[in-house]
Amino acid sequence: MMADQQWDVLLLYGHPWRKDFFRCLINVNFSGPHAAVAVSRSGEISILMSDPWDRETIAASVDGTVAFAFDFAEGLSKALSNLTAGCTVAIAGVELMEARFVEAIGLAAGRAPVSATALVEEVRRHKNAHEIDCMRKAAAFADRGYQYFAEVIEVGMKEYELVAEVEAFLKSNGAEDNFMLIASGGTEVTGMKPPTERKFQLGDLVTTELTPQVDGYWAQICRTLVLGDPNPDQLKAFSIFAEAQKAAEDLLRPGINVSDLARVQNDVFRKYGYGEYTGSKYTRVRGHGLGLHFDENPYVLEDVSYEVKDGMTLIAHPNTYLPLSGYMVFGDSLMVTANGCVALNTTERKLFQKGGGR
Amino acid sequence: MKRGWISWDKTELPPSALEARLGVVRKSLAERQLPALVVYTDIWKSNSARHFSNFMPYWNRALLVIPQDAAPILICGLSPRVYPWIRSVTILDEIRPGANLAQQLLLMCTEKGWKKIGVLDLSQLPHDLYAPIRAGIETVDLPSCAVHLSMPDEFELSMYRHAAKMTREMLEEELRGPCAGPDHHLTGRLERRFRRAGVEDLVILLTNGKTPPRPANGSMLGENFSVALAVEYRGHWVKVARPHTSAKLAASIRERFAAGARNLDAAAGAATLVGNLSGPYPYEAQDSRSAVVGSILAFHVEVQANGERLFYGDTCRRGEYGAELL
Repeated sequence: MMADQQWDVLLLYGHPWRKDFFRCLINVNFSGPHAAVAVSRSGEISILMSDPWDRETIAASVDGTVAFAFDFAEGLSKALSNLTAGCTVAIAGVELMEARFVEAIGLAAGRAPVSATALVEEVRRHKNAHEIDCMRKAAAFADRGYQYFAEVIEVGMKEYELVAEVEAFLKSNGAEDNFMLIASGGTEVTGMKPPTERKFQLGDLVTTELTPQVDGYWAQICRTLVLGDPNPDQLKAFSIFAEAQKAAEDLLRPGINVSDLARVQNDVFRKYGYGEYTGSKYTRVRGHGLGLHFDENPYVLEDVSYEVKDGMTLIAHPNTYLPLSGYMVFGDSLMVTANGCVALNTTERKLFQKGGGR
Repeated sequence: MKRGWISWDKTELPPSALEARLGVVRKSLAERQLPALVVYTDIWKSNSARHFSNFMPYWNRALLVIPQDAAPILICGLSPRVYPWIRSVTILDEIRPGANLAQQLLLMCTEKGWKKIGVLDLSQLPHDLYAPIRAGIETVDLPSCAVHLSMPDEFELSMYRHAAKMTREMLEEELRGPCAGPDHHLTGRLERRFRRAGVEDLVILLTNGKTPPRPANGSMLGENFSVALAVEYRGHWVKVARPHTSAKLAASIRERFAAGARNLDAAAGAATLVGNLSGPYPYEAQDSRSAVVGSILAFHVEVQANGERLFYGDTCRRGEYGAELL
């Protein structure tokens, strides 16, 4: 790729929210504010960390120079000081970098760096066997995490207390991290957010998106649970979500366009007269890529065009608000295979229920 | 990751405190004849916008716009579906959706007739926002120090103190219990305890004495190990590290910490680490000499005992010579 693009240096940048570009080459976790790895065309690597504990941890894990700098811009200048004037530095994650870092790199190279983000993202979309193994493990964590979620939730518990329990469960069992949103209530609920001090009540619809991370890779599960017996509207809503998710899974295979993956989900809602709830007023996306970031491109939307390829991992989730139920979620992590796709999650596909008489 | 309970307790942080902070900004804008200040925020870099509005994104990113003569406005990558929640935990009322933050900001500038704007720590904007904003309007860099961001007021100090005390007590209590076993187990117990206590975010690093503190990786914890925590309580990050070791060694390392804290600059070296907690990031390693008097910092010391590395650290306020424990 570097030779094709005539890049002299490829730099992969990460910060704690977006470690993915850095970790696609150096898959070691870090906790400081910045991390960068530069790769020369001959394959030499040079790493810069902004935290001395990270520097030591990375140095023990990889071959290559690992430096530390209090001033990251200065560190980048120093690390790239031997570049030939006018050489091309490409950066994956340049959009995320502080402008002063990009400027320091430009000064060291004698010209402004170019973005490698889209090309590196494209390379990352096809997962190799090791990556698939990590995704499977992460999906298994998501399944176990949801099972635990459904076991420990109870009327009277606060939303943030439930999140604490699930976090503790996942971390105790070895998950590296977890991204999680939640919502509870009735038809007034229009979306998920961080947990509040709201106490769960009988009749609540409780939605969650669990996204555990294993060895850098994130898998996701979306499920909805009713505290008590589900009412007919909640059941009807769930049947629409399940049909939409199945439509996506039935369609997903190499060669289809993600716009169609969104369309077949939205068409189910349209069929039942709920087409207006597939727009941005009520929902965000009908799915997204998964891997070293938990919300990767391409987003599954009718106005996004991208041809699905073998080896991609993504989630299809028709999550949205419906007046029948309030906000509802349902989705599994999927791996695209030569002929279709396989679900990485094994959690039962149903509207979960806790308590009640049915 | 920030997935704990984000809230606003007005007894801890009265609206008047936020109004006073905005007053500092408005004064600074007036002195520079600027109509507004733009403050960038995201899930990790949320300290500055939190200081002025109590807004802490749990996801995505946003621009907080503080006009000289009006209430702050948020341009936000989050869906309008969560704006009622944002309003419930911040001083914000006007929130505009902005999938493209730079474009929305420039539209707002046109709408308001602003020809130039101040940007907090301009060169620290993400590159994808910096370039289009600079191309679209004249920008003036307003450094953090101009709006007293690194100098906590009485309310911030009180919350830092509360967070540090809570973190010390809960960590020490956890370490008094049985801890032997895989580092994941202790990590899980700490997650439960701290998130149940209402913290928004928690970074747990551990070492069994062979490495610096690092995220749990399945290592077995024996008799001697250390835990380093970074905890976000109501938007205020503190750091505390404690060793699990014999009482004698613990006392010795505590004394080393106290001596180092008394004279921070003299203590600087390979076996100490100073982190800035008053900056835009939750924490950032810094040269102790660059720590501004009055700012909040984390100070860690390392001691070698029987070939094992033990760590002790805490949250302090930079004094004239040393660091005062919060």
